[in-house]
Amino acid sequence: MTELKHYYAPTSLDQAVECLKDGDVTILAGGTDLTPQSQAGRIKFKHTLMNIRHIPQLSGITLEGDEIRIGALATITEIMEHPLVKQHLPVLVEACDHFASDQIRNAGTIGGNICNASPAGDTLIPLLVLDARVELASMPEDKLYRHSMPLSTFFVGPGKTRKSLCELVTGVRIPVPAANHVARFYKLGTRPALDISTISIGVAGCLNGGVLSQVRVAFGAVAPTPVRAEQTEQALEGKPLDAATIEKAAAIARDEVHPIDDVRASAWYRKEMIHNITKRILGHVAQA
Amino acid sequence: MNTVAEKKHRVIEPDSLIGKRIRKMDAPEKASGRTRYIHDINLSGQLHGKILRSARIHALIKSIDTSAARALPGVHVVITAADIPDQRPIGVAKDHFPLKVGRVRSQRDEIAAVAAESEEIAEAALKLIKVEYEDLPVIGDPEDAIKPGAVLIHPEPHGADGTHMHLKQGMSIAHKGKPDNIAMRFDYSHGDVVKGEAESDVVIEDTFKLHYVTHCCMGVSGMIAEFDASGNVLMYSNTQVPFLHKREFAEYLNIDPARIRIIQPPIGGGFGSKLDIYPFEVICLYLARAAKRPVKMLFTREEEFLASPTRQPVLLTLRSGCKKDGTLTFRQVHTLHDNGAYTSWGATTPFVMMQTFSSLYRVPHCDYHTAAVYTNNPYAGSFRGYGNLQATFAIEQHMDMLAQSIGMDPLEFRMKNAQDAGEVTGQGMSFKSCGFKDCIRTAAQRSDFSHKFGENQANQKAPGTVKRGIGMASMLHVGGGAKIYPSDGCGTILKMDDFANVTLITGASEIGQGSETVLSQLVCEELGLPISAVTVVNNDTAITPWDVGVHASRTTFIAGNSAIGAAKKAKAKILAVAAKKFEIAEDYLDLRGGFVIKADSGEAVIELSKLLRNLHFQDKAELVMTTFYYEPPSVHQDKGFKGDVSAAYAWGTQVVEVEVDTETGIVKLIKVTGAHDVGRVLNRLGIEGQIEGGVVMGQGYAFTEDLMIENGRMKNPNFRDYKLVTAPEIPEMDIAFIESMDGEGPQGAKGVGEAPAICMAAAAANAIANATGVRLFELPFTPEKVYRALHGKTPKLYWKPWKAE
Repeated sequence: MTELKHYYAPTSLDQAVECLKDGDVTILAGGTDLTPQSQAGRIKFKHTLMNIRHIPQLSGITLEGDEIRIGALATITEIMEHPLVKQHLPVLVEACDHFASDQIRNAGTIGGNICNASPAGDTLIPLLVLDARVELASMPEDKLYRHSMPLSTFFVGPGKTRKSLCELVTGVRIPVPAANHVARFYKLGTRPALDISTISIGVAGCLNGGVLSQVRVAFGAVAPTPVRAEQTEQALEGKPLDAATIEKAAAIARDEVHPIDDVRASAWYRKEMIHNITKRILGHVAQA
Repeated sequence: MNTVAEKKHRVIEPDSLIGKRIRKMDAPEKASGRTRYIHDINLSGQLHGKILRSARIHALIKSIDTSAARALPGVHVVITAADIPDQRPIGVAKDHFPLKVGRVRSQRDEIAAVAAESEEIAEAALKLIKVEYEDLPVIGDPEDAIKPGAVLIHPEPHGADGTHMHLKQGMSIAHKGKPDNIAMRFDYSHGDVVKGEAESDVVIEDTFKLHYVTHCCMGVSGMIAEFDASGNVLMYSNTQVPFLHKREFAEYLNIDPARIRIIQPPIGGGFGSKLDIYPFEVICLYLARAAKRPVKMLFTREEEFLASPTRQPVLLTLRSGCKKDGTLTFRQVHTLHDNGAYTSWGATTPFVMMQTFSSLYRVPHCDYHTAAVYTNNPYAGSFRGYGNLQATFAIEQHMDMLAQSIGMDPLEFRMKNAQDAGEVTGQGMSFKSCGFKDCIRTAAQRSDFSHKFGENQANQKAPGTVKRGIGMASMLHVGGGAKIYPSDGCGTILKMDDFANVTLITGASEIGQGSETVLSQLVCEELGLPISAVTVVNNDTAITPWDVGVHASRTTFIAGNSAIGAAKKAKAKILAVAAKKFEIAEDYLDLRGGFVIKADSGEAVIELSKLLRNLHFQDKAELVMTTFYYEPPSVHQDKGFKGDVSAAYAWGTQVVEVEVDTETGIVKLIKVTGAHDVGRVLNRLGIEGQIEGGVVMGQGYAFTEDLMIENGRMKNPNFRDYKLVTAPEIPEMDIAFIESMDGEGPQGAKGVGEAPAICMAAAAANAIANATGVRLFELPFTPEKVYRALHGKTPKLYWKPWKAE
């Protein structure tokens, strides 16, 4: 018994955002988060269930100028297998490879992973270190309005984002990284497949003669949202990536995060792992 | 086609099915998705049943209002305890009612049930039932249950004026309550541990803590119950023990057992979970009786976690000793079993645990005590291994630790104390066949144990964050049934048709373990037929002969001997007819390749199908039909738990190799080398599958699976947070079979169903210690637990030995 009254499957972006105007809409894309969460009672269906899968403007992975645009409906499998992503964004492929199971990857979308706003969302950490921007669409008056915002400012809390009820995420935009750009992702769980992160770590930057610049560090599952670790970034910015810098950055990382105890791990263990894995990843980057 | 003349001279070459790789008979159906599990069965007119479970952990039920649920369109029946005045207590200790009366004692407790036109309506009706509770203090820790003044989980009833109601002796705990929280106790001893300790050069004592895990059958629990117009009951049930349950259900319904028929659809996993009757089954019967319609009840996955039995959690303190020369001197064991709110088979795991403590290796003096105590936690049932994983975890760690303390190689230490065939243990178990030393030796050789053990030990303090370790553990388990019930037997009916096809009607249930394939193989071996000639009927109490059920690794041994017995009788009958017809002495005839043959030359005498038709279509027409009942030559234990309880005993050794990442605590299982004394390999493909599956189940117990219970509440009733082992973690396996050719076993075989899961956790603990020098006493070895231990953040466990007075 649900409150669900209408089902709607628009075929254009205009129709979709028009429908969103009254805000009483549950959006369905891959359904891999919506289905279990609604069954468990964590999400209540609103009056209208809108299936956005027939909207062409939400699909595709394309190179637009110096940005790669990934449509909100791109599935995790499509992203993993796309030549543009493989060539320019291998760190995203790495994260997708650790994303749930084949079946979930075939159905789950990147838009869904972003809007679900889990602190442990697998694609969110690489997207953060790649400076991704979220594209949003709405219809404030009678006209389609589109804008974007940095992903790093998008998340508010677990399952909560700055997207209003009248807005739809249409895709993400990622600047094509420079030639000397390096990026790493590491997901730690109790098993190598089908797991929710105990913690996850993303590190990126431009490496020039052993010195890292434009450093981006992001952590998953250590805060109410995926987070950028700005103090850790500062500790690395412009410094030669030697043992002392790495140890200092790893120590700062440990102090910078404030995780909680839950069924997956204790806060203490998470902090220890942030230290140890950050150190390990930076060591790998230094050797790259 | 051959002419008759050619056939006469045809020679049939000897062949055997034993030891071959034979595909499981149900594999094509299962692999192609055609198997009809209980989920796929729907009866016309069927209603759907759902259960309202407690919202509280421990509380008095002040009131239940079902009026709104009853008024919901599509709802046929709503029941609570008040609607079933003839409820009888169920369970191993008869300590609860299917629908709880006046009090809930755990999260799973059944308060009301609904039968409705659809599952959705039934669910909606449950939400309309209002229950008022008055909370009681929760006992979430078994150590609290035995403290003086602890709240009683099953208090004795008091009248309205507060006076104690003295109910008469012999009434069940569900009626008369219990003056303490001790559900069951076991006390065993042989020899004199005081003397044993006095003779010891080294004595060690440690506490071990074993956690909750559950079976995780892919097929969730379910049942369909129907009463016919005469009041006879038909149940589609996933039980592992149909004949015992038939009798028990009859008792709960207060009807003659003759009126109960149980059909078992293909079962999606058992592993011991379906050995007891659970409230949902009785409730489903109540609903069907009240609705006068068939009622189907299927658990959701979450419900499967919440309301299934678990493996028995155990707190255990083991004290053991040895002499400098490596001779074991004694073992003293105290355990505290968290019984949960009610008593199922988990409480009786000491039957198996004490066998391991008393008889795994030569133990001159042994003293063993268990108290199973009531708490508000989930209750434990039987689970593949039945306490043996827990006991072996402690013993085999102590074997390594004792060896280390006297500076002896752990392999040599084990060999010195391992038994040989012909020995009788302090508990009275008589090892007629015994491949124990062969198991140890073979597993050690094939894994290069001694060399790697030394190398890893030397590498413990070397630089590097990833450490390799190797560890060993062995096990002893019943392999020829277990005489727990008045009978441990199994019946077979064997019927041959005019085309020399066989219908094998056996009491033994198939629960995915491959019994129907092995039993067919044994019958075909006697009758000289291909496996395709057999149809197995094994799932209907109205047809099949009696069997005590699938447990104790007994089916191949007991049902196998029974099937062979029936086949031998059929063979004798056939050969007698052929002897007469062809005037050749019976002794000179045999059955092979679908023919009656001359035993010496293999020359075909007549096609078996033709002979059977002759037999049937003649003046004194006869059909070949035989029956056989096999009862193993085991004995019941005496009051001190002593006796040769099984007709044969199985042995096994597993060597586990790991890589420990000391920066994360992640332990990677690299390889498992196993050597199992299985008596004889019957179906090689089947036994490999069973060993591999058992290893993975043991791996889950050791590393990933953890049913987290906090103050009686389950924190992870789902596969997201309850971590089963997945494909990438499954290690390389090298499994060797030791064929000790048991004299009593079918074709020499012994039971092996439970064996492969038993050693894994113990061997893994030893491997981690070999890699890092750090020993873990508490399961499971999750990354955080290992990391904490490696960084000195795990306080030493100690539970002061305690026994019930």
